[in-house]
Amino acid sequence: MNYSEGELAFYPGCSLDGLGKAYKKSSELVSKDLGIVMNEIVDYNCCGATEVKTVSYDLSVFLPGRNLALAKEMGSKAVVAPCNGCVFSLGRANKAITEDEATKSRMNEYLGKAGAPSYEGDVEVKHIIEVIYQQAGLDAVRKRVKKPLTGLRVACYYGCLYTRPKIYTGAGSGERDNPEHPHFMDDLMEAIGAETVEYPLKTVCCGGGHAIADREVSVGFSASILNEAARLNADFVVTMCPLGQMNIEANIPMIEKQYGREIVRPVVYFTQLMALAFGHSRREARLADNFSDAGKVLHSKGF
Amino acid sequence: MPIHEKHLIEKQKIIQKDSAELEGRDVSGQWNIFIQQRILSQYHPSMADEIASTPDGRTINRCWQCGTCTSGCCMHTDFGLREFNPRYFIYLAKIGDEEELKKYKDVIWRCLACNKCVERCPKDVRVEEVIHAIDGYMRKKGWMDDTPASRWDDEYVGNVLKTGILDEIMLLRNYIRDEEMKEFNAGYMMRMGMNMLKTGRLRTGPIRHRTKGWKKVRKVAEEILEKDGYELQ
Ligand code: SF4
Ligand code: SF4
Repeated sequence: MNYSEGELAFYPGCSLDGLGKAYKKSSELVSKDLGIVMNEIVDYNCCGATEVKTVSYDLSVFLPGRNLALAKEMGSKAVVAPCNGCVFSLGRANKAITEDEATKSRMNEYLGKAGAPSYEGDVEVKHIIEVIYQQAGLDAVRKRVKKPLTGLRVACYYGCLYTRPKIYTGAGSGERDNPEHPHFMDDLMEAIGAETVEYPLKTVCCGGGHAIADREVSVGFSASILNEAARLNADFVVTMCPLGQMNIEANIPMIEKQYGREIVRPVVYFTQLMALAFGHSRREARLADNFSDAGKVLHSKGF
Repeated sequence: MPIHEKHLIEKQKIIQKDSAELEGRDVSGQWNIFIQQRILSQYHPSMADEIASTPDGRTINRCWQCGTCTSGCCMHTDFGLREFNPRYFIYLAKIGDEEELKKYKDVIWRCLACNKCVERCPKDVRVEEVIHAIDGYMRKKGWMDDTPASRWDDEYVGNVLKTGILDEIMLLRNYIRDEEMKEFNAGYMMRMGMNMLKTGRLRTGPIRHRTKGWKKVRKVAEEILEKDGYELQ
């Protein structure tokens, strides 16, 4: 489904204001180039991620619910989030509000008290990759390419919560991505001239939920994600999840120590590579933000 | 006879004989392994009801024990921690087996909330939420202390409630300090800090996005937490 101007609200979430700056800037470049207009929800708050819901169910619906209510008030039909965790929380709040009347009335009571508009669970939630894929389309992406990334091999890492679970994200229905075997990012990477590898760990968890609380798991998963990409001769791991990107890259020093430098691959956002292909400089795509040496790898491939 | 999910049985309960005879015939190799009977003593019929009455645990009774969740669980299968078995946790909670459930107090908190189980469950059990409901129940009963994950969540909630959005640098700093994590030594922190400083990402405190009118929202959030019996740390 295509949206007309003013119907898409943008929800940056917490990570894009801080550590995910490269994602924010490169997403802005790419959306602008493709003519996608989104209006930021001004006074948004944290979506609660997966942490708040272990503490209080109601709070974990209220926090994302407030953002959705604000988007509705702006006249939006859909909220676009760039982060898998946000897509999950917002979608889960929609489900909680629409599947149970009692929850809906409790939420509206809270929203009223907090000075927010009321909400019926009827604003769609979309990941930014879906909007780029559907609103602009692969043909428009192909046409916009100035410097195709020919010769670059990438492993597309989608992470857990982009499509999972379909009861929250709607994956698998209509034109949405496949819940167990997503392909939107692979298609986009091919459209900008890169070569994708058949990557079995596309939707494995990176351990980011317990990035610090459970080091064994977070380093272990990060290492296998890199190791598999290295085994398949990929130059980059490309992702769309800010938590995954941060988690894997911040684990690189430990991974180098435990498993050796050979398996390390830079983890970049898909929008960073798209921005490069659209003719923006490495600086504009903020490749220096990566802890790993993304610039060096590009250089060695002749870019 | 092979025993499936052998790790679920206490080692001393498995009896393996060198040879076994049945009606005068040697049947060793097939029938020489036995499992000693187990008697449930700490049994709480109310456990399942109590868990089912929480919002997180409300779907527990839909479970028909097919094991789909465990078969693909990130912790169980991908990471290979066989003791982490969501189907079994649900089974134990449903029969109310305190003694057995307590054995998993150092394991159950490790659920990563990856939601593969929720995606695949054929009965629409919100498995991941149910696992957290069981974890919460065990902590509430005092069967286990707070866990690395629950301490992280506490820190997270307190952080978010301050201004409405997460200050991830403060979250990391406080947690690493409180848990005395040696792995993140001065060298590591310097390296990461310098990179973030150079690229303008060391955003913490007042320069972050602010949610206007947050005070009012915060008050509602605090009321919700109080209603749910949660004390802000
Ligand atoms: S997949 Fe669902 S029904 Fe099957 S054991 Fe797990 S929770 Fe129960
Ligand atoms: S959410 Fe937890 S229980 Fe479910 S598959 Fe992931 S780690 Fe396993």
